[in-house]
Amino acid sequence: MSQPTPNPFRATPSFSRTFESGVFWVLRSTAYIILLCGGFVFSDIVIKGSTTVFRPEFPFVNTTFLTEAPESLYVFEHEGVKREMGDREFRAFRESERLKAEAAGRTAPEIKATSYVYSAGGIFPCIVGTVLLVVGSMSIALCLGVASAIFLNEYARQGTFIRLVRLTILNLAGVPSIVFGLFGMGLFVIFLDWNVSLLAGWFTLALMVLPVVITASEESLKAVPQGFREASLALGATKWQTIRKAVLPFALPGILTSSILGIARVAGETAPIMFTAAFVVRDKLPWEDLERASDFFFQGVMALPYHIYVVSSKIPQNEYTERVQYGTAFVFLLIVALIATTSIVLRARLRRRYRW
Amino acid sequence: MADTSKAPSFPITKRRLRFFGLTSDELVQLFFRGNAMVSVLVLALITLFLFREGLEFFGQNQQNLQVYRRAGLDYVDHMRWQEQDHTALNRYLLDVRMKVMADLTGRGGLSVEAANQRLEAFDQYSIRFDDAIAPLRGLVSELSETASAIKTKYYINEDKRTERRQLLAAGRADEAARVEVIQVDFARELEPILASRDAYLAINRDLARELQELASAARAVPGVPVERMDRFGTLVVQYVGGFPQIEQRLATWDYREDVSLLRSFSAFIFGRQWLTASFWQDWYGVLPLFVGSLMVSMIALTLAVPLGVGAAIYVNQIASPTEQRLIKPCIEFIAAFPSVVLGFFGIAVLGEFLRSISGAAWLDWVPGFPLAERLNALTAGCLLGLIAVPTIFTLAEDALQNVPRSFKEASFALGATRLQTIVRVIIPTALSGIISAVLLGLGRVIGETMVVLLCAGNRIEIPDFTAGIAAFFQPVHTMTGIIAQEMGEVVRGEIHYRALFVVGIVLFFLSLTINFTAQKILRRYRQQPL
Repeated sequence: MSQPTPNPFRATPSFSRTFESGVFWVLRSTAYIILLCGGFVFSDIVIKGSTTVFRPEFPFVNTTFLTEAPESLYVFEHEGVKREMGDREFRAFRESERLKAEAAGRTAPEIKATSYVYSAGGIFPCIVGTVLLVVGSMSIALCLGVASAIFLNEYARQGTFIRLVRLTILNLAGVPSIVFGLFGMGLFVIFLDWNVSLLAGWFTLALMVLPVVITASEESLKAVPQGFREASLALGATKWQTIRKAVLPFALPGILTSSILGIARVAGETAPIMFTAAFVVRDKLPWEDLERASDFFFQGVMALPYHIYVVSSKIPQNEYTERVQYGTAFVFLLIVALIATTSIVLRARLRRRYRW
Repeated sequence: MADTSKAPSFPITKRRLRFFGLTSDELVQLFFRGNAMVSVLVLALITLFLFREGLEFFGQNQQNLQVYRRAGLDYVDHMRWQEQDHTALNRYLLDVRMKVMADLTGRGGLSVEAANQRLEAFDQYSIRFDDAIAPLRGLVSELSETASAIKTKYYINEDKRTERRQLLAAGRADEAARVEVIQVDFARELEPILASRDAYLAINRDLARELQELASAARAVPGVPVERMDRFGTLVVQYVGGFPQIEQRLATWDYREDVSLLRSFSAFIFGRQWLTASFWQDWYGVLPLFVGSLMVSMIALTLAVPLGVGAAIYVNQIASPTEQRLIKPCIEFIAAFPSVVLGFFGIAVLGEFLRSISGAAWLDWVPGFPLAERLNALTAGCLLGLIAVPTIFTLAEDALQNVPRSFKEASFALGATRLQTIVRVIIPTALSGIISAVLLGLGRVIGETMVVLLCAGNRIEIPDFTAGIAAFFQPVHTMTGIIAQEMGEVVRGEIHYRALFVVGIVLFFLSLTINFTAQKILRRYRQQPL
């Protein structure tokens, strides 16, 4: 084959061209640096955390970690073997050793163990607490948020009141979460005397995500074509009938998917629940030992984000504590990431489906 | 003629159910309107409850400062500051010694003993300097005890008084009568402190004489750089020159002087110390926390603005559609990272990572490197940058998206290259949107709690800005962090509890201001006729 003929229309290399492509490469690198940083954080936690959560043999998942309550870990040497045991197991072991020694007619040797709090057992109560917090607060936020959005989009006319409402929604979105925590503590925990409870946490978190839910719902309502409403009204339906039959059914999927992003935010926040709903440690699960049904709402719970805070700041870092630290962070990140991915994917799909 | 007064009957009639004079439709509307009110209500309630819990702080702080003066702690502190100045000068000498020592043993190749020997004259000089303060130090510690005792006595009395009031309120008058309340007579209690003035003046005179001698001898000390000792001499002269002022202040000091509410207010806003549960005196000054928040946010924005805006420009203007579809969700995904997980990452990985990098030889020229602490403003700032990036990216990308297509087309039609179009047309048009994106990013970063609580090092101190850029590598504490850290361990209604709420108020209004400014900028841009 002969040499390919050079392209006669090829751009002549010049300084400005090289400069341009140089700048573009710099910009491209910024985008990829961000992805790299995010990816690094994510993979570090996933890789180190998965050794705690997953097992090489059947059932492949560390069921103890996912289904039991946190315990102290005892590390000790016994008869030349290094052992690690959870609190209950350790006590049973010590007892059996004592009995064995007594049967042999000598005093049991003292077992010298180093203990690490929260490093054994699992995080089941935290998962349960987080799920309860998310479900409750999102129900409240969705009711309030969707109703507000309906008013703003369907009923409201331009006016001072609406401007005020919109302004407050925008500003509410920027209020730091710790301020919401203080507010929840002042109003729900102290003034209404609910103490540190599920209910106080629900309302604090719900009010915190309210702006997100309102904005998301309004966007979905706006996406429903005006013609649907006009057709319904022309048929003699009242405003409410129109909204119920001709607007909401089409807006609902959008509202729900966009609100999932709010769920991710609720699940991920620690600061608002620190003083309103979270306990450092609690032996009982929320549904155990309830005297009255209403007690369910007035009890504090353990929560994943708060547990991560506790295990990463209150206990020293070493090979024994690292497992629970990374494991908890991994499970938590996985839950939040799952929610966020669902939201992003569903939203993209929805945009394609509803196109009027 | 037909009767017109009778209304014609309408063939279709519909009776509407009415509740309280409203049709069901109006009721539904009212319900929705009520829901829309919730957000207004919440904002109002936040303000209300922050003030409800926090506002009393200023009164309590006034009381706190008043006792500080009445019990003579204020008086003793004037002397203590003098003593602390002396200690600072002593540190200067130590610093000189350390540098010289490093020089002698490092470059000079001397053994430690030989170096010590060469510095003997200097050591004698510095010991003499340190000894000069001993009498004053003794006096201060003696007076401190007296003043502390007065303060304790006062507070015990206050507690008793409260107890009696509570008993009276409960209707147990006889028990209340048994509670003994002694009125603390400050004038009498303060007598030993005030009587120490003559002793103090005598000590001060001796100290001044000694220091003057030392100052003039500073030049002649062998073995250390003359210019540093000259500087030391001038510093000592300056320090001695301040003595008459201190004496003057002590002479005019009056325990009866009242502390105004304004003073309590300014002690909070401009106070350089946040010191709680101390044996001597509690201070609630927000300045170190504010500076800490600001520094961490500055680091975060320095990292996040170029990255976020650059990525937004790239994705919106330059990237191919496939790349766009890939990058955008990924960055949105970063936004979903819970901050507490990032904080944990900072503790477990990033802190150590940054410190090991800072120890590298080729980074020696950076002041403050290698990092002394694993957790510092830089560690927290880096992670906060990662939090701010998605916010800035998304909003800036929106702003770029909103630039009308025709602008770009017109620019191309005039023969501009892509880079020229982006720099001269697209970015200026979207600039206000980008600025408001950066502001909203700042709001997000300032309000972030968990990362700074876990990674900023939590040292309540204004960083030493004389160290230049190295100030950014020191541990700091932030406004959000202090609330999260201390709220769990304070007594409800106490001054410390209220102080934390006031910090919350500051934070609340700071974020409102930032947010409001961002909206304002955005709106002005939208109203611009295009």
